[in-house]
Amino acid sequence: MFRRKKQEISQKIFPLEEMVSELLKLGEQQWGSYAFYHEPLERKFTEEQKKEYTARACACGREEARKLMTQFPGRKVRDIIKDMGLKGEMPDLPTGGGHVIFAQYTEPDQILVFGDCVKKAEKMIEEANLWNCLGKVNIEEILFAHELFHAVEFQKKREIYTQTEKIELWRKPFSNKSKILCLSEMAAMEFAKELTGISFSPYVLDVLLMYGYEKEAASALYEEILEAAGIREREE
Amino acid sequence: MEYIIGILLLISFFGLAVYAVRGGNLMLGIFVMGIIWTVLPMLGNMFVTNPEFIAANQEAISITWTDALQKVFQSGPEGWGSVLVNVIFGAWFGRVLMNTGIASTLIRTTTELGGDKPAITCILLCIVTTACFSSIFGAGAVVAIGVIVLPIFMSLGIPKVLATCSFMLSVGAGMFVNPVLYGQFSAFFLGEDGKTLYPYEQHISWGIYALLIQVVVVILMVAFLSSKKRVHSWAATAPTSRKKRRADNAPGIALIAPILPVVLLIVFKVPIILGFIMGSFYALFTCGKIKSWSQTCRMVNKDFFDGVVDTAPLVGFLLMLPMFNKAAELCVPYFNALLGGIIPNNTLIISIVFALISPMGMFRGPLTLFGCGAATLGILKGIGFSTAYLAPLIIIPSTVMNVSCCITQSWIIWGVNYAKVSTREYLKLSAVVGWLICIILQVMVYVMFG
Repeated sequence: MFRRKKQEISQKIFPLEEMVSELLKLGEQQWGSYAFYHEPLERKFTEEQKKEYTARACACGREEARKLMTQFPGRKVRDIIKDMGLKGEMPDLPTGGGHVIFAQYTEPDQILVFGDCVKKAEKMIEEANLWNCLGKVNIEEILFAHELFHAVEFQKKREIYTQTEKIELWRKPFSNKSKILCLSEMAAMEFAKELTGISFSPYVLDVLLMYGYEKEAASALYEEILEAAGIREREE
Repeated sequence: MEYIIGILLLISFFGLAVYAVRGGNLMLGIFVMGIIWTVLPMLGNMFVTNPEFIAANQEAISITWTDALQKVFQSGPEGWGSVLVNVIFGAWFGRVLMNTGIASTLIRTTTELGGDKPAITCILLCIVTTACFSSIFGAGAVVAIGVIVLPIFMSLGIPKVLATCSFMLSVGAGMFVNPVLYGQFSAFFLGEDGKTLYPYEQHISWGIYALLIQVVVVILMVAFLSSKKRVHSWAATAPTSRKKRRADNAPGIALIAPILPVVLLIVFKVPIILGFIMGSFYALFTCGKIKSWSQTCRMVNKDFFDGVVDTAPLVGFLLMLPMFNKAAELCVPYFNALLGGIIPNNTLIISIVFALISPMGMFRGPLTLFGCGAATLGILKGIGFSTAYLAPLIIIPSTVMNVSCCITQSWIIWGVNYAKVSTREYLKLSAVVGWLICIILQVMVYVMFG
């Protein structure tokens, strides 16, 4: 069963340096297309709508990060988490496999960053000498910052864009309005980027962190991102 | 002598249970048990001296070594040929549903109905999953649907344990009417002429209610537990297929394909293999996959190949299991001698005991037909309960505790690993919910057949 799964995704394994340098070139809208790839309601939107949603979600993430930086000037992400009364922990749980969890936020106040993937990523960056292209990057801080956005969202759920923007799913006279889940993720990425001052989208970590567990899976994910971004077509 | 053999058989029985719990290879474990349970009663038959025992089991203990070996190691696996054929056709049908995009379209359409409401979407997806697995069978199909459904559950903030447990229980609920799983159960209830004493109509007469009850319990579980704290995860999921994600878009008319074989069987009495063939070609036709003869040949060949590969891990086990089942029949006189006086000949007491000890259907224990339950069934058959009562009595813990809840089930351990749930956390929820379902179902079966 597992062998077959591997075969299905078995393909050229891309060198980490090549993947990272390609992914660093992607812009906000291209990462937005990747985010919509994983959106359960993706079929409901036109390409134009997706672009508009992406721009708004990213703006929301940036705005919230700036507000927080004004509120807690000069404080590091983990300090802000503490100041806001949240619990930030970094258990050293191994999280390998086809679905790798890097960090999680549990309502109302718990943030977990899985230390195992952080250690693996730092080692890979060191070995592949990625500091030049990534700059001075603190993986742990990016992951905490991403989850911090979800905590901010929870606290502002009645007013924040990612929670108030909804679409109608049912036909009249019935009604079921739903949030668009990927907006929250896009905003969290932009929030983490702004808060930590990095120059690239934290979405790059999807491939980088996955690479530490399964090179084939990371390469397949890389191809999927390029496909979503409209750069490369994958074979049918 | 009969008591010594009976005790040795019981010791080996518990040995298998311990071996299974420790995660030993079940295919070989079952095979070794088949040998032990053939040799021990045959030795007993040679040396037994108690005239009462001999008189009561004249026919059973007069079997020759040649006949016993033929019965266990030749007729046993051969008899399961028909079951295997059903399994393979079911797996092929499952592959067709995956490759035409029907399964993923169905799941997406369902998600679009529920939206971001975790409880509603989860409940709808559980119902769809149950409907799919009323016909489809196999670990490959569970994995293929699981990699779509589980990330959706998790993106909705449903706790991982609840997501995995509700998905697996939904798969198990569909199995109550699944003709392929029924085929495996029916092989435990064969008459002297080799024909089953437990027809599908009999199975469906209570199986459909069991399905509904399990789905209702899953819905209540989701409604009750999903209102707790939501979880947002930053996770990356490796694509499981090189197919373009957006290529999956089956037309609405194709979405009834998953339930077609079982509906054809129940309503029109269409044989299940024909049902799978009709369902598969309906799916291929409505999805516009049939374009030319040569392309259709290639596609059917590939889907069949993939389906057979999906069932491969199960085939070895399914071929060893009948050896054990047949060997268990040789042991019945000895189990009767040892336990016949202890086990009550009363359906109410038996139903209560089965309800209370249902968790023993886990870890291939004595209450699952995919483990040591074959021996338990042998003992109960010897006491003389009717098949109509005995079959559901043991099928309930087999389907609920083993197929739906236990981490020894291949697709469940896959799900637990995929969602990164600790086995302890998973079992804490699945065992309790499964136990509750078993109690309700045992009450139902007692009322219907007791």
